[in-house]
Amino acid sequence: MNLNTNLKAENTYDAIVIGSGISGGWAAKELTEKGLRVLMLERGMNIEHITGYETAMKNPWDFEHAGKLTEEQKRTHPVQKRDYPYSEANEKWWVNDLECPYTEDKRFDWYRGFHVGGKSLMWGRQSYRLSDHNFEDNAKDGHGSDWPIRYKELSPWYDYAERFAGISGSKENWSTCPDGEFLPPMDLNIVEKSVKARIEEHYKRERIMMIGRVANLTVPHKGRGNCQYRNLCSRGCPFGAYFSTQSSTLPAAMATKRLTLRPYSIVNHIIYDKDTKKAKGVMVIDAETNKTMEFYAKIIFVNGSTLGSTFILLNSTSDAHPNGLGNGSGQLGHNLMDHHFRCGASGDAEGFDDRYTYGRRANGIYVPRYQNVGNDKRDYLRGFGYQGGASRSNWQSDVAELSFGSGLKEKMTKPGNWTMGLGGFGEMLPYYENKVYIDKTKKDKWGQPVLAIDCEYKENEKKMRVDMMNDAAEMLEKAGMKNIRTYDAGCYPGMAIHEMGTARMGNDPKTSVLNKWNQMHEVNNVFVTDGACMPSIACQNPSLTFMALTARAADYAVKELKKNNI
Amino acid sequence: MHRREALKNVAFLLGGAISASTMGVLFESFTLPENEKNFVSFSVQDQKIFAEFADIIVPTTKSSAGAKAAGLGKFIPMMMQDCYPKEMQTSFARGFKQLQDKSMQDYKKNYVSLTVPERTKLMVDLRLMSIAQKDTKSEENKDLVYFFVTARDLTLLGYYSSEIGCTKAREYVLVPGRFDGNTKLKPGQKSWAT
Repeated sequence: MNLNTNLKAENTYDAIVIGSGISGGWAAKELTEKGLRVLMLERGMNIEHITGYETAMKNPWDFEHAGKLTEEQKRTHPVQKRDYPYSEANEKWWVNDLECPYTEDKRFDWYRGFHVGGKSLMWGRQSYRLSDHNFEDNAKDGHGSDWPIRYKELSPWYDYAERFAGISGSKENWSTCPDGEFLPPMDLNIVEKSVKARIEEHYKRERIMMIGRVANLTVPHKGRGNCQYRNLCSRGCPFGAYFSTQSSTLPAAMATKRLTLRPYSIVNHIIYDKDTKKAKGVMVIDAETNKTMEFYAKIIFVNGSTLGSTFILLNSTSDAHPNGLGNGSGQLGHNLMDHHFRCGASGDAEGFDDRYTYGRRANGIYVPRYQNVGNDKRDYLRGFGYQGGASRSNWQSDVAELSFGSGLKEKMTKPGNWTMGLGGFGEMLPYYENKVYIDKTKKDKWGQPVLAIDCEYKENEKKMRVDMMNDAAEMLEKAGMKNIRTYDAGCYPGMAIHEMGTARMGNDPKTSVLNKWNQMHEVNNVFVTDGACMPSIACQNPSLTFMALTARAADYAVKELKKNNI
Repeated sequence: MHRREALKNVAFLLGGAISASTMGVLFESFTLPENEKNFVSFSVQDQKIFAEFADIIVPTTKSSAGAKAAGLGKFIPMMMQDCYPKEMQTSFARGFKQLQDKSMQDYKKNYVSLTVPERTKLMVDLRLMSIAQKDTKSEENKDLVYFFVTARDLTLLGYYSSEIGCTKAREYVLVPGRFDGNTKLKPGQKSWAT
């Protein structure tokens, strides 16, 4: 008995953070800095900052397969291989799909990385604020539930997150994409400058184009080095020049000496105490030994990625919560969303043949949403933004010609054409029927049931895609581009790796899972601050919003804890 | 190393079902289980043929050494074995055999003994055959065309990601340190490797 008591004391913390990605890292930093003893649980392996980035300084010729996947990698990663992010250079950072299967009622590309840092190591780093247009859209057009907060409540927390993370960008005074606390912007290249000037002139600045707002440092910041313009971010940055758990939040949390990080710890479920009506801890499966153990805390932050978090909540059943923890509303698992993209236009830029670039900028351009704003009216709801940029490619052999010899070699060592592309990122509406649920007919490598995903784009998204192509073509034409080509490469939910929703915030416990503080309506010591909490997704890249929401929720949680309200 | 990692994953999945000694074999000796064996194999002599073939596609020029020096003789068969499904491997291997047959037929010499002009002429034939086959979709020469088109792809991929291709044929900087979006293109300036 004594042993058990000791074990319990040893396994008890002030707070448990489930997950070590972008939002989990922020939760750990904020909670430890406010004096709490925190246990951060990560289901995968540890990756040390710098020394863990094994391929970061490799040259193209240091890779055995020139970056290509082997047949064996394709066999073990049938989902991860569906798109470009899984490659030879960082293949260890993407899950083996055979070990952690899921059920696709409809095609859903689920990209996952199980390791300390999560997707903060591989993310695209584009960082945009949501605006009041986004916070009000649900209430205005009746889709989804109303956001329980407005921009003015999150704005100071965006400031706070940006100041710490280091976001470079330009101020534009644009209503759908508010300005922030930016480091100096990266430069547009010569063709992008020309396109920007012509678009803004033609549309009388009712459409704008700017350099991407990106979590890459343009100047040294808080002990981290500035971007070296290698554009190899997805291998990990030995200069610490982009925001990741490893480069930023983890060192801050570790510096407090109040953080314990435990890798290989799969949280199977949250343990509910029916007497106190609170969560008392978590049950963990050790990913290496398969042994189970329990950890206890006063508050729990769930940051296991949108669908990872929702899986844990759905799997945390008890007499009081038979359909998943805090699921009295029946909304848990519903309203899954992702951005739809992979369509737009590109064209050739003429007149810049004597111009070239130096350095590989890890960033592109951004055209923030202008549709369904002011006088702009469309036959669908919400809107989209564009990402893209101009570049001068290497001369590409026309495969149809199948040429060879010194002539081909000579051409291939010369700079090719300048091209400019715009690719849309569109908002998807929240639909109740787009959902996830637990499928008990399958088991993962650790004996857990799996998630089933049933999600699809609908009419509003399909209509929007037509404009995403045509508006891009029109703007490129007005900007003087030639040989303009539109494209729609097709898109399935999950591909943008911006999956959100399934545990939405709201004011009414009958229609939402979380309150305005990301706190569960029904279990007040559990907070969910990753993408699962989003009642709508806007069209902006979401991670900066998770950072701001997490810092805000942690501040509230600690205040409530001190007032003995939790 | 990547193959080793991949095998490790296989062993992981099998879990308790296989013995410790088998695990040792998989990790330490690189012995492939029967169903994992490469579907086709290429000899050291074959590597010489690939090297000469690739060197016609990307020859040595004033600026830089060609595909043979860049190691394409080994790269092409390695990529074929590791990264292509078995139907493609077999088609490629058949085409490779037909290339050698064609060399004997047309010149009464094996491929490695051909002169550079002879190899060039042979490749002109393959090129025209491949362009024609695209329209006719004829089954005849299908494997030879697949071999030529794929070997050419792999040569370009391998050469321009090789050290010679990146640093001699093109220009490469590991750590640029800064970005300038508007430089003057100097006469004769090479394109960036990445």
